[in-house]
This record gives sequence, C-alpha cells and structure tokens, in this order.
Amino acid sequence: MRLVCQKDHLAGRLAAVGRAASTKSTVPALANVLIEADENGVVVAATDMELSLRAPLEARVEQPGTVVVPKLAADIVRSMVPGEVTLEHNEGEGVVSLTGGSSSFALNSHQPGEFPALPAEDGSGVVLPADVFLSTADRVVRAASRDDTRPVLTGVLVRLEQDSVTMVATDSYRLAVRQAPLTSGPSQPQQAIVPARALAEAQRAIALAGADQIEVVLSQTSGTFRAGDVVLTTRLIDGQFIDYRQLIPEQFTHDLQLDRGELLAVLGRIAVIAQRNTPVRMALTEGQMTLSVVSEQFGEGHESIPVAFSGEDMEIGFNVEFLRAGVESAEGDTLRLGVISPLRPGLLRGDDDTFRYLLMPIRLNT
Amino acid sequence: MRLIVARCEVVYRGRVTSLLPMAQRLIMMKADGSIMVHSDAGGYKPQNWMTPPSRIQESDGLIVAAKGTGNAVETVEIRIEEVVSDTEHDLGEAARLEKDGVERDLQEAIAAAADVLGEGMTLLRREYPTPIGPVDIVCRDDEGWVAVEVKRVVTIDAVEQLTRYLTYIREQPGMSGCRGMLVGQSVKPQARTLASSRDIDTLVVDLAELRGLKAPELRLFSP
Repeated sequence: MRLVCQKDHLAGRLAAVGRAASTKSTVPALANVLIEADENGVVVAATDMELSLRAPLEARVEQPGTVVVPKLAADIVRSMVPGEVTLEHNEGEGVVSLTGGSSSFALNSHQPGEFPALPAEDGSGVVLPADVFLSTADRVVRAASRDDTRPVLTGVLVRLEQDSVTMVATDSYRLAVRQAPLTSGPSQPQQAIVPARALAEAQRAIALAGADQIEVVLSQTSGTFRAGDVVLTTRLIDGQFIDYRQLIPEQFTHDLQLDRGELLAVLGRIAVIAQRNTPVRMALTEGQMTLSVVSEQFGEGHESIPVAFSGEDMEIGFNVEFLRAGVESAEGDTLRLGVISPLRPGLLRGDDDTFRYLLMPIRLNT
Repeated sequence: MRLIVARCEVVYRGRVTSLLPMAQRLIMMKADGSIMVHSDAGGYKPQNWMTPPSRIQESDGLIVAAKGTGNAVETVEIRIEEVVSDTEHDLGEAARLEKDGVERDLQEAIAAAADVLGEGMTLLRREYPTPIGPVDIVCRDDEGWVAVEVKRVVTIDAVEQLTRYLTYIREQPGMSGCRGMLVGQSVKPQARTLASSRDIDTLVVDLAELRGLKAPELRLFSP
C-alpha cells in the first residue's frame, strides 16, 4: 500500500481515531490504527472492542492495501514539517514507512489480519441536530459514575421519543436529566444505556467532522453515532437503569432563585481551598446564603450572596465539585435551587425544567 | 539487638559486587543473625543487608557476614573506620504483628450484621471448616448458601483462595449451589474481573460504618 496525504490532515485523523485504540488490551493489534485504502477512498479506524471509531482520510492512493500503524504515528506525523507525508507498506512486511520532508521513519507494525473485524455500521436511525445532541450530552455525561462495580451507572440513559430526546446519568450522589425537543424523533420510543465515554467521544466526533447533525442508531447490543463521515460504534450497557423519576421530589420546602453567574463565581473561589471530600457549607439565613469551606490544610473561606430566603435557618453541605458541575450545566441567568432539609436532596434547575440536577448533601459535623 | 553507628565502608560480593563508600551509617545486627546497614535516607530499606541464616565473624574494625557455600557464597564486609556508638539491647520475645485487626474486625462486624452482604442474608457460622482451612463466614439467603471470605484488600490471591474453599464446600450435601462472595475495604480491579468471571460477587464495606462509628454516605439510592 502507498498513499500520500497532507501532514496535518493525517496527524489529525490518526490522533482522533486513535482515541478508540486500547493500550491495555491483551490483543496487541488493538493499540494500533487500521488504514484501509481502496478504490472508494481511505478509511482510518481503531477499536478497543468496546468502542470503535472510523473516519475517512483524504489521500492520494498510489497503491491500495491495508496497513496497521501504531498509535504513536500520530505524534510522529504531527511533528513533521508541513507538506505531504507518504505512508508505504509492502504486503507481508512488518514495517510501515512514513516519509515527509527530510524525515523518514520505519515503524514496526502488526499484520492487518491481526486487527479484529470492525462492527457493522448499517441501519438507519434518528437524526438529531448537532447542537441539541451536544448541549444535552454535555450537561449529563459528567454525572455518570466512574466506578465499574455498577456498570449501569457508568452509562447515560438515552431516550429518543417522537418529540424529544432525554439523557440521564447518575452516580448515586447526583442525577442529571436533560430533555430537549426534537422535530423528527422516532414514531416509537427508543432507549439504551450508552457508556458515558462513548457519548463523550461522540461529541468529539461532531467537532472532528464539523457536522451540523448526528445520526443515532440504537440496536439491541450496540449503538452507532454518525457525525458527517465519522462513525462511532459502541457496545451498549446491559441492565436496568434506575427509575430516576421517583428520585426527584415533587415539592421543596424552599425554592430559591439565584443569579447563576454570581453563584458560579463564588463556588469557583471557594473551590480553590476545598479539598476532595471537603463539603461546601451552604448556610441559609433570612435574605442571605453564605457559602463556606474549612480546609484543615489551607484554612477557610466564606462568601455571602443575597437570596430570598425566609424561615428557620438551615445549613446544608454539598460536594463542591458536584455542586459546581450542576450550576455550570444549568441554563440561563437564573438558577433555581429547591431544598427540603440538610439530609434530603437538593434540585438545581435553570430558567426552565429542561435540565434538572439532583444532588445529595454531605452530612455536616455540627 | 545491637546498634552500631560508625563510619564504615561496605562491600557486597555475591550475585553482583557493590561498594558503599566510607560514610557514617547505622549497622543493625539482630539476634536472628540478620545484618542491615542503614543510611539516614531510603525509608525502611537498608543500603545493604544479609538475611539469616548467616555466619558472622567480627575482628578489629571488620564485620563479615556470609551465607552459602562454594560458588553461591555471598558476603557483606563492613570495614569500620570509627565507631560513634555501639549499644546492645535485649528486646525479649518477639511479639506477633497485630495487623490492625482489620480483617478480624471486619469479619466480626459483618457477622454481626450479615444483611450488609445482601437482603435477607443470615449468618450460619464464622470460620466454617473445610479440609484446607476455614472460610471466614457462611451465610444463607433465599437463593441458598454463600461462602464469604473477608480481606482488608481483596486481591487475586483472595479470589483463588475462595475458589479453593468453594470446591470443597460444594462437595458437601445440600451445598452444591453455594455461591462465593469476597468482601473488603477495597477490591483490586483485577480481582474484581477474575471474581466476576468465576461468578463470585465482590463487595466493598466501610469498617467505621459497620461499627456505627460513621454515618453512611448520603446517596440518592443504594447503588
């Protein structure tokens, strides 16, 4: 195989697709990127068997063929001088050559036959505007758990309905729900638990393809996300997602309206000295909210903002990063915070109810 | 226990040859025949050492510890230029290491509240005997028997250990369907993967919570 490609384009595609490559797998070929060149064009692909990414490569094919290049080829190509890069591989040889400018590299490579078959990507799905997909996924994906002991919680529930898309994630300490309107949803509702990592990669795929829409295909065991000519396929998480609706209280003792920007700025300052597991204390008194943090290592800080609060004083502790993530994800200038008691969850909402962020408090030592 | 603080040079000859140049060091000579040469850095690890059984010969300004014979002989030679301090202490009988009692305490706490292992779980007995040693806890729930091994940190070795116990327990009448569960304050990812492939459950518990010293973390739901 021999192909010639612009250096920046090749480096970009190898790096973007290489994100799906696995360095931890017991199959060494999975730490590599597959390049297939035929009369239809060139495709770059990688997979860790959970998630696969493939994207076309604009290149001049001088000799068709298939080659497996190590992931680090992206770093090599990126550091080459601007211009054309030639990638060449003689069938049966264990070396791929990369030349560009006066640089010449011969990289050890695996045989294409060692690379596993990529999942099929056929089937049509639901087309979502890219901005709807991005703004929905971005607001919930951070709330997914990173603890593999409960795989279901490491995923995001994606539900497609005729007139809306809903995404939900929870790590049991917080729950993020975002619903957005759709004009051309499926006639029958579809839902699946998509690994949070795959959803984050799907967001990158939109940016990589410069796409203004994304097609989502949910099958029994796999999900496919097509953004322009970039295709991501992921294994879906098997299991029952928590019935999140029954977790969200219908009524709150206090429903406070806050200036979102002001609260975010205060949390940003407070978070500097808050360490992991140090709660931010939210003291609610007549007309005022005081946020404070005490760090054994660094000292303490507090700041007050006016708020329309009346009734018995209350103090609630929250994980500062979780609280900040919720405030960041809410939409609009006004933030509504619903609280019941120091041991019951608080609910953050933006200007409307399309985004809801339920956050469990941390017990405070009084 | 003899403690010598001295300016010394140490030469090791054996699998390799190494030299610690002349400097002030602490030489620990234990009653069991081990010798350790410490500097004022390096944490717990000596710069050079000889484990027992060793042959120790001492002459003026020279301590030589040797072990092995023929080609396999190893020696540590300590050439002493100046002795700063040389003291000897009788430490008496060696007390057994108390490993914080965490595993024992975990086992007691879990046995006292077996329902932390799962809904409806009741204790059959602690230290359930098998021909290769006792398994920490055997419990029962609606689905049958569960053999539980408790570790401070659940590792791959713990998975192998419980697998061996299960082989014997399942040979007993009425216990062929006995499930396995590993419980610890943390579970290594590799152990979780291996346990899962063998249908052995893993569970992380907090001893302080089990003892009621700490209120459990607040969660939206029990994960």
